[in-house]
Amino acid sequence: MKSFLIILLLGLANLAWAESGTLVRASELKQKPFTDAASSGKLATGARVDIVARQGAWMQVKSNGQSGWIKLLNVRTGSGKGGGGGIGSIGSVLATGSSGTTVTTGVKGLSSEQIRNAKPNYGELKKLDGYDATRQSATNSATANGLKPRSVPYVVSRATTSDNGNGNDPQNRRRGP
Amino acid sequence: MKTSLIAALLAAALAQPALASSLSDLLGKAIENPDLVNSVVGAVQNTIDANRTIGPKEEKTLGDGMAANLLGAAPLVNNAGLQSYVNQVGRWVASQSEAPNLDWRFGVIDSPNVNSFATPGGVVLITRGLMDRLRNESELAGVLGHEITHVLRHHVTRAAQSGKGREAVANALQGVAQYKTDDARRQLGANVLSGVSEVYVRGLDKDDEFEADVTGMVLAARAGYNPYALVSVLQTLGEINPADGSVQLMFSTHPSPQARLDYIDRNVGSKLEKYAGGVENTPRFRAAIGR
Repeated sequence: MKSFLIILLLGLANLAWAESGTLVRASELKQKPFTDAASSGKLATGARVDIVARQGAWMQVKSNGQSGWIKLLNVRTGSGKGGGGGIGSIGSVLATGSSGTTVTTGVKGLSSEQIRNAKPNYGELKKLDGYDATRQSATNSATANGLKPRSVPYVVSRATTSDNGNGNDPQNRRRGP
Repeated sequence: MKTSLIAALLAAALAQPALASSLSDLLGKAIENPDLVNSVVGAVQNTIDANRTIGPKEEKTLGDGMAANLLGAAPLVNNAGLQSYVNQVGRWVASQSEAPNLDWRFGVIDSPNVNSFATPGGVVLITRGLMDRLRNESELAGVLGHEITHVLRHHVTRAAQSGKGREAVANALQGVAQYKTDDARRQLGANVLSGVSEVYVRGLDKDDEFEADVTGMVLAARAGYNPYALVSVLQTLGEINPADGSVQLMFSTHPSPQARLDYIDRNVGSKLEKYAGGVENTPRFRAAIGR
């Protein structure tokens, strides 16, 4: 009975769950997730969109009766209106038996307090060691799941602050081969 | 880095003549292995331990202790299939890096909170709460790529050595040198680990977090995935109310999801789009996660 209720709740959560976001730049709506696809309209900076699907570097959105594909990076989520939660809240109900919609400060799980008070568990580490995968078995499994390695150079990114003497000088970091 | 290391070593040697004998030894190490972590420099009371460069063996001893500590706070999810799965994915992504043969180990820890952790030397832990929010395997690969980068670039080691952590690290590593020929795992004490593990409460340098996002995307692309899946993960995190207890620790130790997306926007932008047709999901994700 209880599990039936949970399944029902999850079903409802999925129906109610709609991701939304805000455009950080004006975006042309594309009929397909490709740069050279035909246009199906235009959205202004700050427009609110409902996210329908995701593919590659694109997301399919709906906004004021218009729909189409725009770049993922043109969108930021979170309105600061305390949205969020959704599936996550239901998940924490299942996990903790407490209401996921109630804000708790002494959250069950992994707070800074729990890390500070933790006692090392080397038995659990041994268990972790037992689950490890060899490079060969990871390669076999990846290949069986359609993954092909590609050669991609590292992207050099800029530090947001100057080096403040903590030995964190990105100019001198090794950037791989 | 090399120049500042040498300058720092010289300063340390001048401050403590007793160190002079080991200086050439240290300089030699630093020059033959530029990947060594910064040695810790400063006024040290009666010990040269804090001035020692930390090598791979010591990083692993330290990191395994830090992992044991995190596992003391939240144990592994009791699901062998899930744990094996996350190791297959993580090891595959790590194999695309310059350190494919580190002792990489991955685990899902039993916490509803949304977070993930890297420890020096190759342990990466992700919470059940974060796993539950991932749509597909390419998103998992992006998250693991982010944590793998922290390991590759010694971000956690460096953060643990900063400020008050300097002495904690020195204490933790006292005597580790003697274990170099001993294959038995050296277990660090609770007090020492508690000091070093403060880094998980304090957080890393924010530039290290930004770098981990960008490099994590590259590692995922190399492994054959759609690298932009990490953007979707950050958008998922952005949807969660920051007042929600499940994200408090992560949000207090990381730049906001919006700031991280802005950074990716500026530094990656469309650069990786030719790889965006990579794998989004796999049969093994559906089998292990049931989504």
